[in-house]
Amino acid sequence: MIAPNSDDQLLVREIKDKIIWEVKLRYAIVGLGLLLILFSMISRFHLGIFPSLVIFIGAYNTAAFAIYLMSKQTRLWWLVSFRLFSQLFDVVTITYLIYFTGSLESPFWFLYLVMIIISGYGIYSFYASLNVFLIAFFSNFFYLGLLFLTYLGIIPTYGATFTLTPQQMLYSILNKAVFTTVSFFLFAATIYYFSKLLTQHRQELVQKNKELVVALDELRETDRLKDEFVSSASHELRTPLAIIRENISLIEDGIIGAVNEKQRGLLASSRENVDRLANIINTLLDLSRIESRSFDLDRQPADVGELAGKAVALLQDKARQKQMTIDHKTAGNLVALIDQEQVLRVMINLIDNAIKYTPENGEIAVTTERIGNDVMVAVQDTGKGIAEKDLHRVFGRFMRFNAKDEESKGWGLGLFICKGLIEMHGGKIWVESRVGRGSRFIFTLPGG
Amino acid sequence: MADKTRILIVEDEAEMAQAIRLRLEANGYEVLTAADGAEGLNRARAEKPGLIILDVMLPKMDGFKVSRMLKFDENFKDIPIIMLTAKTQKVDVAMGLEAGVNVYMTKPFKAEELLRTISGLLAKK
Repeated sequence: MIAPNSDDQLLVREIKDKIIWEVKLRYAIVGLGLLLILFSMISRFHLGIFPSLVIFIGAYNTAAFAIYLMSKQTRLWWLVSFRLFSQLFDVVTITYLIYFTGSLESPFWFLYLVMIIISGYGIYSFYASLNVFLIAFFSNFFYLGLLFLTYLGIIPTYGATFTLTPQQMLYSILNKAVFTTVSFFLFAATIYYFSKLLTQHRQELVQKNKELVVALDELRETDRLKDEFVSSASHELRTPLAIIRENISLIEDGIIGAVNEKQRGLLASSRENVDRLANIINTLLDLSRIESRSFDLDRQPADVGELAGKAVALLQDKARQKQMTIDHKTAGNLVALIDQEQVLRVMINLIDNAIKYTPENGEIAVTTERIGNDVMVAVQDTGKGIAEKDLHRVFGRFMRFNAKDEESKGWGLGLFICKGLIEMHGGKIWVESRVGRGSRFIFTLPGG
Repeated sequence: MADKTRILIVEDEAEMAQAIRLRLEANGYEVLTAADGAEGLNRARAEKPGLIILDVMLPKMDGFKVSRMLKFDENFKDIPIIMLTAKTQKVDVAMGLEAGVNVYMTKPFKAEELLRTISGLLAKK
């Protein structure tokens, strides 16, 4: 016996689905049959034994459905046998239909092929595949039976067949017998083959899917651990850093004892580098939170134009050192739901970059305006611009241009963090640039 | 000023407490220290200092709880508390403010800023 496993359960569910689907299909046929009967009553069109056929399908279908519902079986072999048995009734029904539409002359033999498709399509397992061949066998058996009974004269002949001599009749019947046998079994084999192929592909997909889900879970867990690690590491680093900084500044300020000018200079540089280290830790922490999208934004309604004004004012001095001024244009009410600190940080980063990469006497223009429902901020410079092949990398991690340039030393994380922050606001950030003409960094924020 | 303002430092890192103590003493304050949360709470209640500098990650009782115990007590709620910690997440800041601290500062801090904050809080009293 095959031990029940998840694949079997999947198959059981599918066969149950098919059984229900077939029950519905039979009822649909019964419904159509009833309509036809109604139509014949109105038009006095003679239907022969057709109504009895409809009653027959309706009766066994209802019985089968009742048995199915009452049995509550979940064993594979039971369901497969049950399905085979109800399909056998279908084969009988089709044979009946063929019989009264003229046996040899009947066009309805193709319904056997339909049965073969229905019985075998899409299901593959040892039991379920047997089904399609058994249906092919029974279809063949019933059809040939019908034909030979006709030959023996037990079933009356109609139409063209009526005028045949027994010799011609036998020839015709043998002809049909060979043709149907071969075609039924070939058809069954084809359906079997494709169902097998389909099922195997599906099983592979299911397997791959399972593996992916596991991998994704592991990845999430790793990400969470990384976040936790970065968070606690940054906390652990800060405490000794605070002690070092405070001790340095105690000595530097002469609180411990007299310090000469040279010593003071070294202490100041040590203190500044401690601050730099602290900034790096902050950046790392932000990076980790931005990557995992767990950065907590403190969103309040604020005017983006005013905020840009603040950023421009903060950097005006730095721009003046390079003989340029930052131009700021803003229009109207630009209130959006934003974390002011973080948006200001993005603005400062973009403007600071513009100052860095624009030669002396260049121009920097900051514009803030409302586009539809969004608020748009653009920082335009007259720097050397970014080559088209580099544009898509600008917001990447550790992306730096002109690495040799002492002025622009940094981690290349600035724009990556900007992108993360803007996207967490539900906005977009991008750059338009032409080499030699300058760059234009633009971001949007959903307006409130 | 006739009497020196007394400031209580609740900090488990001895070197950190020492550095802050030197800085504050150099600026004319009298300094008390406590090395864990429970001791900090007891000293605050016993000595009623003019201001408290409080860490968060403390043995026995965390800074949030110490702050809450003082701020929700009629007798001590007027003592300004500066929370000085290495925890920088917004959640922690929010928890600190909810626990009633007056100012939340992160490590590493700038001595000038700390002194400015202290004199600001004391002037408001």
